[in-house]
Amino acid sequence: MADQADLDADRELLTQAQTGDLSAFEALVERHRDKVYGVALRMTRSEADAAEIAQETFLSAFQHLSEFRGEAAFGSWVHRIAANHALMRLRHRNVVEAAEEELTEPEFNERGNWIEYPSNDWSRRADEKALDTELGTAIRLATNRLPDRYREVFVLKDIEGLSYEQISEITGDSIAAIKSRLHRARLDLRNAIDEFYGEK
Amino acid sequence: MFTCKESIDLLLDYLDGTMSDEQARHLEEHLTACPPCIDFLRTYRATPGLCRRALQKQMPEELSQRLKEFLRQKCKP
Repeated sequence: MADQADLDADRELLTQAQTGDLSAFEALVERHRDKVYGVALRMTRSEADAAEIAQETFLSAFQHLSEFRGEAAFGSWVHRIAANHALMRLRHRNVVEAAEEELTEPEFNERGNWIEYPSNDWSRRADEKALDTELGTAIRLATNRLPDRYREVFVLKDIEGLSYEQISEITGDSIAAIKSRLHRARLDLRNAIDEFYGEK
Repeated sequence: MFTCKESIDLLLDYLDGTMSDEQARHLEEHLTACPPCIDFLRTYRATPGLCRRALQKQMPEELSQRLKEFLRQKCKP
C-alpha cells in the first residue's frame, strides 16, 4: 500500500505530466513499472507478454492522461489497466491449461471428518525473515499450475490486493464465483506449501 | 455444530468477516474443539502472505530500458 508521501509525489508528477512534461511521466513510469510488470507476469506467466503489457499499459495511460481526474491514485489506475490487458491476453490465448479437477482439496469422509489429519502447522515459519529459495520455487510452480481463471482471481485478490468488486468489474464474473475460485486456489496452494514442509 | 468439511468450506468467509454472528459462533465452537482444523486455518491464513513474498518480481533492467525507449518514441510531443 502506498503511503501518503508517495501519493503526494505521484500527484505532483501527474500534474506536471498532464501539462506535457515527458520527464515527469517517465518518473511516474519508473515508480510504477515493477508493479505493472509484476501483475502482468503473475497473470500471464510469460515474460514476453508481461513486457508488452507494460508497454501497452503506460502508452494507454499516457494517451488518457488528460482524462485522469485523480480520484484514484495513479498507481491503482495503471495497475487496473495492466490487469485488464493481462486478462484480455489470457482470454485470447489458445493453450491447453490445467483442468479444475487437478486442483487439490482436503479430503473428508461421508460424515464430514478428516480422512487424514493435516500434517503440521507451518504458519509460524511463514513469518521467517528470509523466504526459503526452494519454497519460493515450489510456490511459483504451484501458482503456474493453477487453471487461468483460478490463478487470475488469486493474483488479483491475494497478491495485488484488489477488492472483490474490482475483480468482478475486470473479469465480469459474479462475486460468488470469484470467492469460490479464490478459496479453491488457496486450498491448492496451501497444499503445495504443506507438501514442501512435509518433505523437508 | 459444523463438521470439519463444513468448517473448511467456510474459512474464506470467516477470514473475510462476512459470516453472520451465529455462523461465526458455530464455526468457532468447532475450531475450539478440533486441533486439525485449527492447524488448517492457520496455514490457510498464512498461504497468501507466503505466496506474495514468493511471487515478488522486479522488471529486469534490460526491459526497463526497452520500455523507456518505447515510450520516448511513442509519446513524442
